[in-house]
Amino acid sequence: MTIDIGNMSRRDLLKSASVAALVAGAGSLAVPRRGAAQDANTVRVLSVEDPFFFSMKALVPEYEKETGIKVELESLSYDALQSRLVSAFVAKTSDADVIVVDQMWLGQYLDNGWIISLNDFIAKDNEFDLSDFIPEVLYSSNMWRGQVGTLPVAAYAQGVMYRKDVFDELGIAAPPTETSEDWTWTKYVDTLKSMEGKSFGGKPLFPTVVCGSQPSPIVHMFTQVSASHGANWFKSFPAAPWDFSPQLTSPAWIKSVEVYRQLYKLSPPEAINYVWFDAGTRFAKGDIGMFYWWTPYFYLIKNSGYMTGKKSDVVEKYATAALPKAEGVPQTVSLGGWSLGIPSSSERQEAGYAFIKWATSKATQKKMALWPDLNYQFSDFARVSLYQDEEVKAIYPYLDVQYAMMKQGNGKVTRPPVPGYTAVESVLGLTLNQLLTGNEEPKTGLERANSLFESILKGNLMIPYQRDSYSDSLDGAKALIAKK
Amino acid sequence: MHTTTVRSPRAFGPARKSFIRRNLPYLLIAPSVVMLLALIAYPLLFALRSSFYFWNLQIGPEPLQFVGFENYVQAFNAFDFRAALTNTLILSILGTALEFIFGLAIALILLKALPGMNIVRALLILPTTIAPIVVGFLFRYLYDPGGGLLSWVLQSFWLPVPAEGILGSPSTALAAILFVDIWQWTPFFAIVLYASLLAVPDEILEAARLDRASAWTILMRIKLPLIKRTAIIIVMLRFMQIFNTFDTVLVLTRGGPGTSTRTLGYSLYEQGLVNFNIGLVSAMTWITVLIVNVIVALYVFFAFRNEEW
Repeated sequence: MTIDIGNMSRRDLLKSASVAALVAGAGSLAVPRRGAAQDANTVRVLSVEDPFFFSMKALVPEYEKETGIKVELESLSYDALQSRLVSAFVAKTSDADVIVVDQMWLGQYLDNGWIISLNDFIAKDNEFDLSDFIPEVLYSSNMWRGQVGTLPVAAYAQGVMYRKDVFDELGIAAPPTETSEDWTWTKYVDTLKSMEGKSFGGKPLFPTVVCGSQPSPIVHMFTQVSASHGANWFKSFPAAPWDFSPQLTSPAWIKSVEVYRQLYKLSPPEAINYVWFDAGTRFAKGDIGMFYWWTPYFYLIKNSGYMTGKKSDVVEKYATAALPKAEGVPQTVSLGGWSLGIPSSSERQEAGYAFIKWATSKATQKKMALWPDLNYQFSDFARVSLYQDEEVKAIYPYLDVQYAMMKQGNGKVTRPPVPGYTAVESVLGLTLNQLLTGNEEPKTGLERANSLFESILKGNLMIPYQRDSYSDSLDGAKALIAKK
Repeated sequence: MHTTTVRSPRAFGPARKSFIRRNLPYLLIAPSVVMLLALIAYPLLFALRSSFYFWNLQIGPEPLQFVGFENYVQAFNAFDFRAALTNTLILSILGTALEFIFGLAIALILLKALPGMNIVRALLILPTTIAPIVVGFLFRYLYDPGGGLLSWVLQSFWLPVPAEGILGSPSTALAAILFVDIWQWTPFFAIVLYASLLAVPDEILEAARLDRASAWTILMRIKLPLIKRTAIIIVMLRFMQIFNTFDTVLVLTRGGPGTSTRTLGYSLYEQGLVNFNIGLVSAMTWITVLIVNVIVALYVFFAFRNEEW
């Protein structure tokens, strides 16, 4: 056969160009899956820029000096981190040797084989002791289908912060530091109402502040109320057999929305757009009586703003307390935070494990806590021993309250770390945000969200669930921890 | 009959020369065509194919099954997508129209030889050089109900500011985002239209003035027709740009309160880069592409129907 190129028509030329382009496109997908060979003495760590990152970064030179391993530490915002990670996983490129994993991403990452189980590393490591970790934290943030997928570098519970001086002046009884049947959400709202319309220091006082921005911030805060009220997202999870039929129309959800709506009415109106740190550091401005939020704010409110390192007006005037519970329902505290895992695409998994072991060790975590810059800002321990460390407690006097909250935690119930979580979270976040601003009945909004949940979960092949279930319980996790 | 042509070495040189000469235009544009196909056609076709599959990276790294038009149905059934479409059309149409009107007004003022115009022209371009994400943060502070400059100015003129803030109320949030876009991109219209107006021949304007034509008549009958082609193009470009509004929405409101400021760009970001629903986001992408192209095609048809190019 001959091809006379000289007589090629425009159409033929375009056809050839199309084929070339497609081949080029396919070629780009067929390049070697792994990145170029790395320096054997380098470990790449991809992190989120939460408070723990800064103290960990400060200690990295020490690690490099001790081990001779260079650490390439990179940080991103929350959304950017997940986008970057998922893109790298799908492309099967070795983007990092250690990655920071949020609690809700764990099931997705392990089920898709994007990160490796750490079980073998831990089993082979005679020095490693799992038992110092708080079981509730490991269960909530690190364990999936009986595997330890990650190890916690910063563990968060939720707790109450209030102004001692305001409570004293207004004659309001201080909230308790321990969970009790008397300290309920009803009592919490009543306490807030006793501050409604009051002034303090010549300025109007807002009884509380909530997070209103969709989707994740409002869900993070709201789900503490719903978990306290015993609301479940799904018909059966984490207990087997898994059934992801949504349960948002139950009375516990409706009651939770009613409580959250009351909290919003007692907050600065602009809180409808508040993301995590807007709500968290609003208290530091001095015009909020009491609020609850992630425990990192126990120290962040010492600053005049998020990560400023400059002391706020409330630094000597606030105290922490236990979270309220719902009447007659055992308390469940929202647990979350950040953990370290190893991508399956990493070529330096041993080095990655060594870094994780260092970063999550008692010694490093204590040094991170004692790092003085930015006004001391790391007390997010997952290790029991650090809650008992007197040197650390002298800087962070609220650790007893925080530990008590951790012991009541269950992240698997509060915000289930199942594949597809963010899709349903976006619906819930939008619904909650609408329910705060509009006049719609909670039941109507939740019914709509439930229907959308069902549609998404069916579309995502989660209803009926097509993979094997796993009977996941805290006791089961404790038994696995005890084996090591 | 099957024949094979064998050229002698002597004949090879001139033949090759002749081939290059004959096909030089195609050879010159070939790299561009290849690049265009690789960078535009391939992704679009890839998205089209993906839109017919169930493919969520949270559930699995590969497409799981063919679902036909299910993703398109799901996109249209999602009430936030419908709201996003409405908001995007409002922003695009109003934003383009207002930016054109204000830009033209500024351009006409710039033509006057007033003192300090050189500085004004230099300053005018500044907003367009700022990254949208930075503009978003800037206006977040300006809109802050607890002392933000814009909230304070409005209150100073006894204009009502919602208790939850300009960005916190569904009745004002979209207008606030529109204002940000107008602030940033009106200078773009002003500079381009100013440059076009400078090219209007003085003789024509002088003749019109001698005929005692009013300023309005000169604008509508002479200036605008002469800059029409430029105006048509920049209006089209801005419309398409605003249609993709995302950065300012992310920083200012994250689409809220409720769905009041959700745009198609933000919805695509959320479905693609937060929820990783590749099938659904591909369907949404194609819906967006079709809508933009239909609007632009109609616009181009009507705007250029009496033009010769």
